[in-house]
Amino acid sequence: MRASAPPLIGGLRLPAVRSLVWAALFLAPPVLGLLSLGVGRYPLPLAEVLTALGQGLGISESAPELASRVVLLIRLPRVLEALVAGAGLAIAGAALQGVFRNPLVGPQLIGVSSGAAFGGALALFLSAGLSTLLGATFLFGLLALVIVFLFSRVDGRAPVLMLVLSGVVVGAFFSALVSLVTYLADPNDTLPAIVYWLMGSFATASYPKLALLLAVTVPGVALLVALRFRINVLSLGDEEARALGIQVEPTRWLVLLAVTAITASGVAVAGIVGWVGLVVPHIARMLVGPDHKALLPASALAGAAYMVLVDDLARTATTQELPLGVLTALVGAPLFGLLLRRAQAKGWST
Amino acid sequence: MPSPRHLSAAVFCLALSSAPALANPISITDQAGLDVTLDGPANRIVTIPIPAASMITAIDGGPDRLSGMHPLSKSALMDGILGAFFPDMASIPSDVVGNGFMPNVEAVLALNPDLVFQWGHLGGDVINPLRNAGLTVATVTYGTEDLARGWIEMMGKATGETQKAQRMLDWRDSTLADIRATMGDLPQGARPRVLYFNRFLSEMKVSGPGTYNDFYIGLAGGRNPAAVEGAPAWQVVNAEQLMAWDPEVILLNGFEPDLSPADVYGNPLLAGLSAVKSKRVYQIPLGGYRWDPPNQESPLMWTWLSMVLHPEKGAWPLRKNIVEAYAWLYGQTPTEDQIDGILRLAANSGASGYDTFARTAKP
Repeated sequence: MRASAPPLIGGLRLPAVRSLVWAALFLAPPVLGLLSLGVGRYPLPLAEVLTALGQGLGISESAPELASRVVLLIRLPRVLEALVAGAGLAIAGAALQGVFRNPLVGPQLIGVSSGAAFGGALALFLSAGLSTLLGATFLFGLLALVIVFLFSRVDGRAPVLMLVLSGVVVGAFFSALVSLVTYLADPNDTLPAIVYWLMGSFATASYPKLALLLAVTVPGVALLVALRFRINVLSLGDEEARALGIQVEPTRWLVLLAVTAITASGVAVAGIVGWVGLVVPHIARMLVGPDHKALLPASALAGAAYMVLVDDLARTATTQELPLGVLTALVGAPLFGLLLRRAQAKGWST
Repeated sequence: MPSPRHLSAAVFCLALSSAPALANPISITDQAGLDVTLDGPANRIVTIPIPAASMITAIDGGPDRLSGMHPLSKSALMDGILGAFFPDMASIPSDVVGNGFMPNVEAVLALNPDLVFQWGHLGGDVINPLRNAGLTVATVTYGTEDLARGWIEMMGKATGETQKAQRMLDWRDSTLADIRATMGDLPQGARPRVLYFNRFLSEMKVSGPGTYNDFYIGLAGGRNPAAVEGAPAWQVVNAEQLMAWDPEVILLNGFEPDLSPADVYGNPLLAGLSAVKSKRVYQIPLGGYRWDPPNQESPLMWTWLSMVLHPEKGAWPLRKNIVEAYAWLYGQTPTEDQIDGILRLAANSGASGYDTFARTAKP
């Protein structure tokens, strides 16, 4: 049913509200990113931050050496990594929730995070380099996904309930393997590296890591955005999707592959940062509605802004670095509980 | 099935039958405050805390009483100078404990020890299985000079090597007094800012207030910018925080096998630090044990650090001190090459003032 005139919200017409929301979503990541360059443990006046940034872009004279080191080598790669990883994890979560038609689904729930965590822990256990770390997180994330795929098929189809339950089983299995690796790791050498990585942090941000993150996340996000119409159809349910002429299984697995790649690259550079893919799509859904054409880009933008904010907190709140995964869970879990209660009566609860 | 009580009674009878009666029982108080009684000097000792094996080796002047130890104690010993002094250590079993310091009680029982050292700060789960099996357990805790002195005293008493233990304590006293006489009244302004990295490669973790590292940084005439009142003992920090502190000297731990000062010099984020610019990044030496935590060779560590922090005052003949100390600690004479290795001359070469530790340097 369509109203003849758009309803009024707070004295504004709905399209006006909508464009305001979009303007805010588009502006938030760059504005927060720029502001984040101005904060940190090392006190730097804003003018020096801007000069250093200008120097990095080649549009201003050179800044004091210390300022340019802090801004260009420490803060900039870290802020960019947080923006990209946040966008990737959030859009991956939104896509997952769409294809599984379940707002509780995240990379954790289908076992991908645990698989990737095991791959990463194993790579660190073997003292491997960054590219091996990425390869291992992706491979084991994918392996978890394939096992879930094989487990969950019933009569040639994979019902959502079976998928999610298989995800729980596979997740538990890989979590046990992570525990085994940490148990066997040398407490002087590899164990601290694994424990620290499992808690999540952008503290080791660098341009090579950023390049690697971009190389995987950008194509992954592009693929998800390209599939947004199909994700819309999938979110109606398998029967309806088939009736509308979508090849349900191949499409679903293509989405899952993109989600795995994005999650693995995020995990490889920043460790296990949970809850972003679960909470941010919910917030985005409240802002722009459940249509994936809008929801996917909105999730990416909101995820970038959210991650950069949380990371600012992690690196500036105390002299100590706070573990990112702990912060995202402490912020995310209660927020998610609240959202669940509020949204219980509408939309997703079927 | 025999109950634990029966088992322990059986083990007790076994112990009685093999020991020559309770002629001169020894009574010690462990670091949990429990009284532990031994039939006589302990001759078969199992050590589960990692630094305890080298401490026993020092107290006894050799590894003869060491019946079993933690696998990481063993790898540290075999890779270090004590493995070179006492190659027979390679045959001492190290299967008595898994990760997390949980003892393998049956493996410990099979060694028939008359004393087992175990950590006292990890809760009862790692201790009670040993006591339930009828083994004599003394617990130790760690981290301060007082506790380290407690180790020496207790282990000296338990082995009957009280004179050796007293000499080790006197050595600590006299070295402390010597260094305090030189550094004690240095004003804050004359003390370089020193950071100790407990971790560098996996994360950057520095030691804060109340740590042993903080103790010897202050002792040797430095000050630790991370030791702010109320701050945590161990702090994971980022590069920006390091720049705000701007350490003038950086000390690297001896625990991370792949770590060397080159990792600090090669890190572009840290290039602006005073310690990097003036080439004052040092890896802590590794003697009979790593010198960073409290150990039997701590006086040598304090001397080394005093020389590193205040080369203008450093009139100590450290290489000679090592030779003298090893003679009465272990009954061994290290070669010049071995002393180079202990002082990590290769890794620390090029560091400011490190020539003073070279073999040709005049004391």
